[in-house]
Amino acid sequence: MKKFLALQICALLLVSGALGGMFAFTSVYNEVRSGIVLVLCLSCLKLEPKTNAEFTFNTADDRPHADFVLENLSQGPVFLHYSGDACAGCDVMYPVIKELFSVEFGKQDMFSTIVTFENTSVAYIYVNIHHTIDELRDAQVIYDKDHIGGIPMFTVVTLGYDNGDVKPKYTTLYGTLATYGCDTDAQRLVFLQQLMDQSIEMYEQNKPGYQHQ
Amino acid sequence: MKLQIKRLLSQIILFFSANLGYPGYPGLKTGFCYPFFYCQACPAATSACPLRSLEQSVDKGSFAWRLFLFPLLIIGFLGILTGRAVCSWACPIGLLQRGTGRIARKVKKTHLAKKLGTHKAEKYFRYTKYVILISLVFVTSYLIGFIFTDICPVGFLTGTIPVLLLNPGKFVPNFFFPIALVIFVLFIILIFIIERGWCRYFCPVGALLGPFNKISFYHIAVEKTECLHCNVCSYECPMGIDVPNMHRDPECILCGKCVTACPHELITFERKGQ
Repeated sequence: MKKFLALQICALLLVSGALGGMFAFTSVYNEVRSGIVLVLCLSCLKLEPKTNAEFTFNTADDRPHADFVLENLSQGPVFLHYSGDACAGCDVMYPVIKELFSVEFGKQDMFSTIVTFENTSVAYIYVNIHHTIDELRDAQVIYDKDHIGGIPMFTVVTLGYDNGDVKPKYTTLYGTLATYGCDTDAQRLVFLQQLMDQSIEMYEQNKPGYQHQ
Repeated sequence: MKLQIKRLLSQIILFFSANLGYPGYPGLKTGFCYPFFYCQACPAATSACPLRSLEQSVDKGSFAWRLFLFPLLIIGFLGILTGRAVCSWACPIGLLQRGTGRIARKVKKTHLAKKLGTHKAEKYFRYTKYVILISLVFVTSYLIGFIFTDICPVGFLTGTIPVLLLNPGKFVPNFFFPIALVIFVLFIILIFIIERGWCRYFCPVGALLGPFNKISFYHIAVEKTECLHCNVCSYECPMGIDVPNMHRDPECILCGKCVTACPHELITFERKGQ
């Protein structure tokens, strides 16, 4: 009886100590909050959002653009690729994006590069929300045009003309692009190529008037 | 206050506590894992499903020890204190099955249900939840990236359906939807025909909690020497346990129905010891 009670107390102390230690000395609480609770995996939700691919000037909740996006925008359009672990939709889109920009990287890497796309520099920034820094993760909310709060998410930031000013203009796509009629990798690739062509055209038209502050 | 009323109140309060995350009302989104089965995809969810954290920890050959240990320690902490009581006192899916249990108890009286319920293979079928936990939460996630969450009926009920209802026309089904819908329909049928059918046979979170019954402080004790084996307790047990012969059974959810039912008060809640 006493031995069993001692075993119970030891087990409780061990588990509560380990749990307390995790809270005190690791970032697991924030990892779960920012990586699971606040950002959903759309394939886990079993749904695809029905959104349009039109470019807009208005960021979500009128938040300011991310600094790293504005810095890269002086060289060319910016492509933000939000992905995550244990996400079937992300796994579907991962090889398509790699083929689109002819880049190679690991799924859990922090990766960004300048690629030449149709003779224009494009900043490609890959963000695995489960393996990244706060600045990149937080930018997802800024470009979550339709307030979906899910991954995979793709944002193309370019330049647009608005009442006498040249300003950043962007669009955001979600999921595996099924709502845009893309059911195969080839269709997804063509759709994204067309979107990039459109963004490059807008960029080239408006670049002379752009002043990065 | 009667024990079962207390339990109902506990379930209702914890259901609302688990749903304080709806944006603005009050929008509480924490970094905890639920110690029971509930989906973070629910628009009002405050925390993460423990299974999601476990799946993510072993995604495609990787191993994130923090995401692996965190839900296990939360479940372990409550498990050591109260065993599987979380299933009957806190879990929203337990509350749902409490609602469907009345119909399931009527079905239980039919000849076929009696025959199947007492079949010798029934006790082995209860291991299905452990198989699901190991295979669909850990093995397939680790090897091929297929996760239980993609087809989870509880996620469908508490995540997919509310999202569709709150955002009409904003979402369309993806490739997992038809499979998840079929599993969800089977889940609904199951909880209407077998009392606590989900908890008994399929719940992976129950599989995580179950073994803690063996060492938990809080447990149900039967005075076996004085028991008359009238089996009133076994008949009342929603988990279909042979209560007079039970000793720290991993299936026991500590609902206390046997405690209330025993005409000789030989079944009691115990707080420590064997």
